[in-house]
Amino acid sequence: MRRILRFVIIILLLAFIVIQFFQPEKNNEGVSSNHIFNQVEVPENIQTLLSTSCLDCHSNHTGYWWYNHIAPVSWMVADHISEGKSELNFSEWGSMDIFEKITILEKICQETERKSMPLKSYRAIHTKAKLNDEQIAELCDWTTKLAEELLANAAGD
Amino acid sequence: MKKSLSIFVTLFFVLSLVALGTNKPTKTQAMPDDVKEVIQNSCFGCHNTDSRNEDGKKELDFNKLDSLSKIKMISTYKEIGEVLEKNEMPPKKFLERFPDKALSDDHKQLLLDWSKKEAEALVKGM
Repeated sequence: MRRILRFVIIILLLAFIVIQFFQPEKNNEGVSSNHIFNQVEVPENIQTLLSTSCLDCHSNHTGYWWYNHIAPVSWMVADHISEGKSELNFSEWGSMDIFEKITILEKICQETERKSMPLKSYRAIHTKAKLNDEQIAELCDWTTKLAEELLANAAGD
Repeated sequence: MKKSLSIFVTLFFVLSLVALGTNKPTKTQAMPDDVKEVIQNSCFGCHNTDSRNEDGKKELDFNKLDSLSKIKMISTYKEIGEVLEKNEMPPKKFLERFPDKALSDDHKQLLLDWSKKEAEALVKGM
């Protein structure tokens, strides 16, 4: 019995070591000119808020923690990032058309108000990422204002 | 007397111009009949004010579409296009029970064109 247990533990350890050689590509490109911070003037409090609560998964630059590099956590993280970026990538802001921008802004407010963003699992680990009601109101004020600005500019064209 | 009359006339002129400007309805055209028919058949069952499908109603209520802010309207039209393109709507499970509610390719294209046109009109301020 003890021999079987020892065998199983050794196999698991080996498997753990082997999977470390299969690492997903890291999401750490620099900040491009298409990034929202380089495209529109985002107020400082909103910049901070986006950076701590959203940009890890919704941009081309993730602030990794040491344990994010260890499989299988690294796989899960890579999965969240690719899914997050497919919905919204703030690094690509400059290449979106006005319809996408307005819709995204509206969705940002909606998802945070419904507390479906940031993700629960992300909130649990990154406690600072959790948004309180005041922050959500600030965020929604900003998204509405920016969307209205974009709309006003487009109507003038 | 003459002077006051001319002031009166000018004032009248200016005011009527202002009134003309403000009275312009932001959106006049109603939903085209063919679009209405498709929506009635495939979407409206869940996306209406009296719907018992709370999620569906929350995401989109066709009865209230016209009372939304311009921004919300634009994003609603855009999202209608997105869910149709991704074939997320009508939901698969719903279609298993009601196969006749499925959208044909032509109907889907009709809705796609319509939602795109509406969003564009709103952005251009027409």
